[in-house]
Amino acid sequence: MVRFQGVAMRYANGPEVLKDVTFHLEAGSYHFLTGPSGAGKSSLLRLMYLAHRASRGTVSVFGHDIANTPRRLLPGLRRRIGVVFQDFRLLDHLSARDNVALTLRIAGIREDTIRAHVAELLAWVGLGDKLDATPPTLSDGEKQRVAIARAVIGRPSLLLADEPTGSIDEHQGMRILRLFEELNRIGTTVVVATHDQRLIARFHHRVLRLADGQFTVERQSMGI
Amino acid sequence: MAARRYDLPFAEDGSGRFLPWMIALMVYLAALATVAALTTRAVAQRWNAGLEGTATVEVAPTGDAAATDAAVTQALAVLRNTPGVVAAQPVPKEEIDRLLEPWLGPDAAREGLPVPRLIDVRFTKGARVDVGALTRTLVTAVPTARFDSHSVWLERLQILGDSVQLAALLIVALIAAAAGATVVFATRAGLAVHREFIELMHLIGSRDSYIARQFQNHAMSLALRGGVLGVIAGALTIGALTVISRPIQSALLPDLAIGAAAIAVLALLPLLAAGIAMLTARITVLRALKQMT
Repeated sequence: MVRFQGVAMRYANGPEVLKDVTFHLEAGSYHFLTGPSGAGKSSLLRLMYLAHRASRGTVSVFGHDIANTPRRLLPGLRRRIGVVFQDFRLLDHLSARDNVALTLRIAGIREDTIRAHVAELLAWVGLGDKLDATPPTLSDGEKQRVAIARAVIGRPSLLLADEPTGSIDEHQGMRILRLFEELNRIGTTVVVATHDQRLIARFHHRVLRLADGQFTVERQSMGI
Repeated sequence: MAARRYDLPFAEDGSGRFLPWMIALMVYLAALATVAALTTRAVAQRWNAGLEGTATVEVAPTGDAAATDAAVTQALAVLRNTPGVVAAQPVPKEEIDRLLEPWLGPDAAREGLPVPRLIDVRFTKGARVDVGALTRTLVTAVPTARFDSHSVWLERLQILGDSVQLAALLIVALIAAAAGATVVFATRAGLAVHREFIELMHLIGSRDSYIARQFQNHAMSLALRGGVLGVIAGALTIGALTVISRPIQSALLPDLAIGAAAIAVLALLPLLAAGIAMLTARITVLRALKQMT
């Protein structure tokens, strides 16, 4: 599914923010990615959702060596990846419904199908009454739920979530992580980046730990 | 579903606001140039049709009216016996005086100026008359006669008409190029403004063509609005010029008559502007996106 081999990453000509990262995520696995702030969690996710190229090493996603993958194939790969950005990255001029629908529109799905699925998912994340609200009128927690809905609406093969529960209450957070588990059960590979150790402890999943750009894999968290 | 026109926030983008006005100005100029070309063409065709198949024989005055009359009679006889000539009629003296009046004044006829006599000659339609042979025969019979087939005049008229049309075409081409450059500038500005959104759309799997479609449709919409505005302003200007020029009676001033062809061409201008804007925006965006990850 995702394979990193001796990967390093730097922004422009700056220092390496990731060094010699090597790991393999099997299809259908569920991982927490953790580490202190500034450890490189978001950078690692950027490599995984193909927003950035490794400065050295090999990044392979869905069996494609990204460095050697033609540009024309990248949209197809990215459609198989759902991303929950830490800063939500919603389009402020579009309604919650259109923000979520964008993923499906880009994939060329029919409008009537989009209409039904989007309304259903937004209702599920508790925003059934905010379908036409634009992001500036939503709270951070509501924005985060819209961003999560946008990431999962296309039933991605790989779901990457950067601090997905950071702006929502514990109850909503648990619901969202259970949704991720549901998706994981039907085959979606999930990586949740978080520095919330309590949250990690509540689920029985493997943990990828980053510190100072270096990487370790822990087999399992302390499930409860 | 709420009304949704574009995924990108073009409404909040100031870079495209000037585009309709620029396109309006360009289409306005193109409309004037096009009407100028079409009017010149119509005038040239009208004069050509009026003069084609005709000639004028000029008999110089000799100072002796009887001798001049005899020369005119002799020229008429030669002309009427020439195969292919369907009619040869002397232009009445009053008509010649009337034609000269704007240049020589109303008293020219009374002042006894030596004015040549004119004969209108019409040829059978499609007849092949040997103008050279006819001229030689005529001058042999009447040495004071001069045969004018209008060919030099028609040739110059044709050159003038062609030149005006070529100039108008060049102006329209330059305007189209300027419109294209304006769209490139606006599109690049839009790409810079919306870079963050474009990156997001890429990350959620958008193809370049999907993003390009957003820009091209936006540019087309703006150009169409500007084009319609420009062509309306052009039509109003032409209408005003027509009204102003109507009282001026002169054979040298062309009528600003707007025919069906001109109306059709004017109606096409906004569509042409929209098409240029759409294509230019698409190419600009696709080229720029290729540089992005």
